Amino acid sequence: MILIVMRRLLTTVCLILLAGYQPLHSKSMQTRNDLIERLENVAKLIRDDRLSDAERQLSTILRSNSKQPDALNLLGAIRAKQKRFDEAEKLFSSAVSANASLVSARMNLVQLYLIQSKPQNAISELNQVLRLQPENEEAFDRLSQLLLKEKRVDEFISLVEPVKSSRSISFSLLVSLGDAYLEKRNAVKAEENFRLALAQQSDDADAILGLAQAAHLRGDTALASSYLARAKGATVKSANTLHRFALVAFAAGRFEEANLALTEAVKLKPDEPAFYVFLGTTWLKKPDLVEAEQAFRRALELNSDDSTAQMYLGYTLMLQGKYPAARELLEKSLVKESTVPQTFYYLGLISQEEGDDQAAIQHFRKTLQLLPSYVEVHGALGRSYLNLKDYPQAKAELELAVKLNPNDTQAHYQLAVLYARLKDPQRAQEQMQIVERLKEAARAPQKPTP
Amino acid sequence: MTKPRFIPFLILALLAFNLRALPQVRNKPSTPSPAITFEDITQKSGIAWVHNNAQSDARHLPETVGAGCAFIDYDNDGWMDIMFINSGSSDFFTPTTPIRNALYRNNHDGTFTDVTIKAGVSGGSFGMGVAAADYDADGFQDLYVTNYGRNTLYKNTGKGTFVDVTDKAGVAAPGWSTCAVWFDFDNDGKLDLFVSSFVYYDRSLNVLCADDQNRRYYCIPRHYKPRPSHLFRNNGDGTFTDVSAETAIADYPGKSFGAVATDVNNDGWLDLFVANDTMPNFLFINKGGKKFDEVGLAAGVAFSQAGRARSGMGVDAADYDGDGWQDLFVANIDYEFFSLYHNEKDVTFTDEPREIAAATQVLSGWGLRFFDYDNDTDPDLLLVNGHPDDFVEMHNARVKYKEPLVLFVNTGRDFKNVSQNSGAVFTRDFSGRGMATGDFDNDGDLDVLVSNNGEAPLLLRNDGGNRNNWLGLHLVPTKSNPAAVGAVITWQAGTLKRSRLKTGGGSYLSSHDPREILGIGAATKIDFLEIRWPSGKVDKLTNLPLNTYVRVVEGAGLSTLR
Repeated sequence: MILIVMRRLLTTVCLILLAGYQPLHSKSMQTRNDLIERLENVAKLIRDDRLSDAERQLSTILRSNSKQPDALNLLGAIRAKQKRFDEAEKLFSSAVSANASLVSARMNLVQLYLIQSKPQNAISELNQVLRLQPENEEAFDRLSQLLLKEKRVDEFISLVEPVKSSRSISFSLLVSLGDAYLEKRNAVKAEENFRLALAQQSDDADAILGLAQAAHLRGDTALASSYLARAKGATVKSANTLHRFALVAFAAGRFEEANLALTEAVKLKPDEPAFYVFLGTTWLKKPDLVEAEQAFRRALELNSDDSTAQMYLGYTLMLQGKYPAARELLEKSLVKESTVPQTFYYLGLISQEEGDDQAAIQHFRKTLQLLPSYVEVHGALGRSYLNLKDYPQAKAELELAVKLNPNDTQAHYQLAVLYARLKDPQRAQEQMQIVERLKEAARAPQKPTP
Repeated sequence: MTKPRFIPFLILALLAFNLRALPQVRNKPSTPSPAITFEDITQKSGIAWVHNNAQSDARHLPETVGAGCAFIDYDNDGWMDIMFINSGSSDFFTPTTPIRNALYRNNHDGTFTDVTIKAGVSGGSFGMGVAAADYDADGFQDLYVTNYGRNTLYKNTGKGTFVDVTDKAGVAAPGWSTCAVWFDFDNDGKLDLFVSSFVYYDRSLNVLCADDQNRRYYCIPRHYKPRPSHLFRNNGDGTFTDVSAETAIADYPGKSFGAVATDVNNDGWLDLFVANDTMPNFLFINKGGKKFDEVGLAAGVAFSQAGRARSGMGVDAADYDGDGWQDLFVANIDYEFFSLYHNEKDVTFTDEPREIAAATQVLSGWGLRFFDYDNDTDPDLLLVNGHPDDFVEMHNARVKYKEPLVLFVNTGRDFKNVSQNSGAVFTRDFSGRGMATGDFDNDGDLDVLVSNNGEAPLLLRNDGGNRNNWLGLHLVPTKSNPAAVGAVITWQAGTLKRSRLKTGGGSYLSSHDPREILGIGAATKIDFLEIRWPSGKVDKLTNLPLNTYVRVVEGAGLSTLR
C-alpha cells in the first residue's frame, strides 16, 4: 500500500514540477531553463531510483539557494522514498514556506499525511490546494473521498454540491453525494443525486440501491422493494455494492437475501470486519447461531478490538447458553464502548440465567439509565423480581412492561406466573390467554418437530 | 428368648466384609484416577434383539416415539435382567414378520439369555413403555407395559413366567399410553399406578404433514388433541380403581410423555411431575393422598421463560445440589433447551441449566436419569437423545436425526459435560429413546441400558465407577409400598452427608434397577445410614459394610449381605 502511495507521490512531484513556472526575461530565462533542466534531471534520477545521484545534484542546487522550493520539494520526495517521513515533511513544509502557492509540495504533503494516517492534516492541505487552484480536479476528487471516509458529511456536501452545475461530476461522486444525503436523512436530495448517477450509468446497482434506500427512508417500502428487485437484475461487481444490497434487503426484512449478498461480499472482500459483523446479524435473523458465531469470530480475528463484534458474539453465545464466554465478551466490549445499553441488558439476562438476580437488576437498571425507552428491560426486571419473590416490584415492572408493549409475550407470561403465585387464577388465566393469542399470531409455518 | 433370626446373618455379614472388602478400600489409588468410561457391550452380552419402529410412508406418530426398556430382577436371583419393548400390531401396522418384546435373563457373567417366549411377555400390541414393580407385594417384580392400544399388566408368577392380568386388574387404559409410574400416592403401603396419556390418535386421525416433494414426515403433536392421563389406586386384592377423576388428574388433558413421582414440597406425599409435548408440563401436588393440585404455572415449570410450551419428553427428579429439596429435569426438542429446575423450597423453581443448555442446544432428549455413576455421592446426569423426524437433516443443517448420548458430572452446584472422556460410545449417534440405569454386573456402579428407535439397543457397562467406595441397598419394605418409592435414605461418611429420596418412574418409557447404590467417594467407612420409610418408620444403621449389597428390611433395623 505504501509503495503504491509512494509511486503516486513521485509522479505527482514530477508532473507538478514543470507546470509551476512562469515565463521570465531571457537571461533569467536561460538560468531558469538551466534550473528546470537540472530539476528535470533530478526527477528522472529519482524515477530511476538513483537517489544518491539525485541527492548530489539537489545539494548543488540548494548550496546556491537553500530555499529553492522545487529542490526542497524533490529532496522531500527522496526522503519520503527512503521512508524518512519526518524529514520529508519538514522539507515539503519548507518548500511551502518558501513558496506558499507551490501546489506540488502541498500535494506531496497530502500524500505524506495519508501515509502517516493523518487524514485531518491531508484534508486541511487539500483545502489549501483548492483555494489556490479551485479547478484542481485531483485535489477535488481526493478531498471529496477523504471527507466521505472521515464522515465529514456536511463538508463533503458543501464541497460537491456547488460545483455540480458548473462541472461534470463523476458517476461515483454522484453516488457518494446521494449517500451523504442519505446520511443526513434527506431522501429527496439523495434521490436527486442517485437519479443523476443513473443518467450516467442506467443499470448501476449502487445507484439503484441508493434509490431503494431513499425510498425506504421516505417510508415507501413498496418502491424500495421494487428498486431492490431491479438491483438484483443489475450486475453487481463489488463487495461494497453487495454490502449495500444487504443493507437494503435487511431494512426491508429480507434477511435471507441480505445473508446471501453478504456471503458473496465477504468472498470478494475477506478482510473487512464490518462485513462479517453484518453477516453475523443476518445469521442471527435466520436464526443460525453457529454460523452467526463463526461470522462474529471472523470479524474479531480481523480486528480483535471491534467492540460491536464482541457485543454481538457475546449475545450469540448467550443465546446458546454459553454464559461465561458470553459474559467475558460483553464485558470486553464495555471497555471500549461503555454506553451501549444492549450490552448491559445482555449481561443482565446472563446474570438472570445464572441465578444472580441481584446482579441482573443492577445491569437492567444501568440499561434503563442509558436508554429509558428500552421497554424489554421492564419485563426482564419483572422476571428478576419474581425470581427474588419481590412480588410488588415484580408486579409493577411487569405491568409497566405490558403497558409499554402489549405484545411482550414474555412479560405477559411472567405476569401469569405472578398472578398464579398470588392465588389469582383468573388473572393468571387471562394473561396466559394473551400469551396464547400472541403466540398464535406469531406462529411460523409448521416445522416438522413433535 | 428366641433371638431374631437376622442377628447371626448380620454378624456373618460383617465378618465377611472385614475379610473381603477392607483391602479394596486400602488399595485406593493415590494418583489421579483414570476417567470412568462406559463400554458398549451389547454384542458381547448376547443381546441380539432389535427394535422395529414400523416406520411407514404414512408416518404414523406412534412409530417415532417408542420404545422403552427396563432393568428388572424377574427371577429374584439378585442379578438384573433386561426387558425391551417393541412395536406390534395396530390399526395402522400389521407386521409381516414376527415382532416381539424381549426379556433377557442375566447369566451372571456379563451375558444374557433370551427368555421372552418362556416368560410369556412377547407382547403383540404396539408397545411403548415399561414399568416394573411388585404391585401385589408377593416378592416378585411385575411388569406394566404401555401401548398404543391397550396396556398390559404382567403378573410375575415367581416361576420364571408372567401372566396377563390386565382385565382382572382393570388397568388396560386403552388409547395411547406412554410412561407409567408405580408409586404410592395415598401412603397406604400399596403401589398405585400413574399412566401418561398421549394424544387422541388412530389411523383415521393421522394428519397429513408433508414437504414440497410430498414426502410425509411425523407431525408436530400440536395437531392432535390432548388426553387425560390415568391414576389407578391399588385395592390390594389384585385390582385397581381408576381414581383419575376424583383426584383431579383427569381434569388436565395432556400430551404426556415422561413422568416422575417425587416429593417436591417435603410433606411426605408423593407429587407428580409430568412432561407434555407442545403443552405446558404438569406439576401435580399431592394434597394428602386425596387429590392433586396442578401448579405448573405458578411453580415455573410449565413453560419456557418466554412463556412457550415446549416439547417435554423425558423427566427426572433428584436433589442435585444437596439442599434437601427435590429438583426437576425435563428434556425438550432441539433449540428449546432442556430445563434443570432448581427447587426454591416453596413449590417454585428456577430454571438453571447452565452448561447443560449449551451442550444440548441442538439435541432432542428422551431417556434421562440423575444417577451417581462415579459413586462420589452426588447425582450426575445422563441424557439420551434423538430427533423424532427422520427428515430433519433435510431442512435443518444443525440438527441430526441420530444424536449422541451426553454425560454430565455433578460438580457440586453445576454440571460439566464429560462425554468426551467417557468412552467411545459418546462419539456415536443414535435414535435414542428409553433409558434405564442399573448395576447388571453387581460390581457396585450403575450401568446403562438404552433403547433406540428402529435400531439395536445399547448395554453400556460402567468401568471405573466402583473405584470409589459404595454400599448397595436392597430395600425391603414391610409396611411401606413394595418399591419403597418415597423412602428417604440418609448416609454419612466422615464429613460427607447425603440424602436421597427414592423416586418413582423418571426417564422415558423405562424402568430402573430398584436397588440403591450409595457412593461415599474415597471415604472408608459409612458412619451411619438412616432410612425414613414412606410409612413413617425410621431405621438407623451403623457399622455397615462397604462395597457390597445389603438387604434392609423396614422396621427390622437390620441388614444382611446378599
